[in-house]
Amino acid sequence: MDNKKIFSSELHLKIIKFFHENQASIDTPRGVATWIGEDRAKVKSALEDLVKNKILIADRATSTTGYGYTRDTALISKIEKILSSLG
Amino acid sequence: MQEDNANTYQDELFDKLKKSMSLKREEECIGCLIKPALWWIVEHPSPKIGEIEKLIGGSCPYMKKGRRGKLKPWAGSILGVIKNAAETKKLTRFECIEGLHGFVYPVAQGDRLYGYIGTCYTKTDVSPEILDIFSAFTDVIVREIQKELELSKLYETLRPRAIALSTVHTVHRLISSTLDLTELLPRIARLSLQIMRANRCSIKLVDAKKKTLLPKATVDLREKKTRLKKVKVGKWAPGKAVKYGRPIKGDNYLATPLIDEDVIGVITVYDKIDNKPFSASDQEIMSTLAEQAVIAIKNAQLYKEQEQLTMGSIKSLAKVLDTRAPGTYVPRASFVKISLAMGQDMRMDADEVKSLEYAAILHDAGEIVVPDDVLTKPAKLTGREYAIVKEHPAAGVEIIKHMKALKSVLPTILYHHEHFDGSGYPKGLKKDQIPLGARIMAIVSAFEAMITNRPYRVVKTIDEAMDEISRNSGTQFDPRVVETFLKIIGKKDIRSMLERELYG
Repeated sequence: MDNKKIFSSELHLKIIKFFHENQASIDTPRGVATWIGEDRAKVKSALEDLVKNKILIADRATSTTGYGYTRDTALISKIEKILSSLG
Repeated sequence: MQEDNANTYQDELFDKLKKSMSLKREEECIGCLIKPALWWIVEHPSPKIGEIEKLIGGSCPYMKKGRRGKLKPWAGSILGVIKNAAETKKLTRFECIEGLHGFVYPVAQGDRLYGYIGTCYTKTDVSPEILDIFSAFTDVIVREIQKELELSKLYETLRPRAIALSTVHTVHRLISSTLDLTELLPRIARLSLQIMRANRCSIKLVDAKKKTLLPKATVDLREKKTRLKKVKVGKWAPGKAVKYGRPIKGDNYLATPLIDEDVIGVITVYDKIDNKPFSASDQEIMSTLAEQAVIAIKNAQLYKEQEQLTMGSIKSLAKVLDTRAPGTYVPRASFVKISLAMGQDMRMDADEVKSLEYAAILHDAGEIVVPDDVLTKPAKLTGREYAIVKEHPAAGVEIIKHMKALKSVLPTILYHHEHFDGSGYPKGLKKDQIPLGARIMAIVSAFEAMITNRPYRVVKTIDEAMDEISRNSGTQFDPRVVETFLKIIGKKDIRSMLERELYG
């Protein structure tokens, strides 16, 4: 999934917004699904898309995976601009 | 700050009141009974006379008759009524101009007054019953809005805390999922870096004897990386955090001690990615993370000690057994390595691979029940002697089953003489009925017996033994495991290790 598609998907955008507003957060698919009020399976798949696009970082353990926000400051600024333009 | 918050609350309250459909409907209903009326809202508790003039001036029925000069005294009398309503906190009726009426409803919560809703210029005097109804309905509307505001305030306060708590919980799950220190410490460093939004994190553990801190894990996102080095207890931020047992914070670093009964180490994060200094809240979060990290590190250390203890017991047992037939029971390191490599190649999990390591040492422990003359007999065994030999897997299980840590090894020991085609012993299991560990151990132990000195057979070369194992693929051995075995033996490092051990 390219960046253009990611930013036009409501679900992906909701996840990006959540992590952009809570940059120190690390959460599981279940946790993120709770915070944004979406289906866990769909969130899990979207989280993996965002990891592939380097917007999120995944820490994988046998029992679960923790997802956190990118530490790339240039990418964070770019996301900030996109989110502001979307209002 | 408190005043700011109060003002925001007041603004939000009146904003919602002005937009409230319930209040609009109520004004319409009451308006039908008392029309015409001017409704007004004062959005703070202490209005000035000018403000009242503005509110009531535009719709004053006498303004058109050129009596502007009269407005000020009327506004003044309404202001008096407002002050009265503020004191009593009750709806108050009044006569605004000759023959025209109005009332003021104070918007309050407990002792706190926020403003007023009022009417003016009604030709009909409002009856006390209507006022009671208005007052009761407005109370309900105001209370609902206040509740809504309180809930939203509570949500805004609690949500970030709940998200932080969820992060703590996730971190706990992630670091509790491994008992391997070499995996655990880098994970803690990565998670600390992520939570602190920092560029570098290092974990050092205390070497109590030397009074130094040994670097154990580091994650450095900067291009120019810092070299890992030992630090003396008491030196630099990490050393001081350990010496004083409390966090040491500077603008671009935060060292948090790992405290169990004693200080066991320190996590230090450096350089936030937004270049801001580390805050008191960062310190609090790192302390929570450090508490979790200590538990995980202690668990991993205990597990490692337990593992070393188990391995020590196994090796001692192997030594005891080896006194009967020297060189038979203390396995060469290469056979253990082959077993482990095969397990990993066949995607066994870490615990199963560990069991395989124990099995590689103990698989023939049950031979203790086989008499010396049978065990070392250079000729073919009689039927009775072979029956005794066939009892050794079950005897091995009897010896080992009392060690709880070795429970997972038992199936491998019991079934490592089963054949893939069902012709083996003790149960004649076939194919997938035989546990994978036992199918691996069957090949490794047969290979070991072929290429090392045994009283009952001539020693084969490595290649001859590999050929024999290939020939028995599908009958004695699982073809898939044979394939893996040949691949592993074909590896340069394994082959040279074997040759070194066998031929010097």
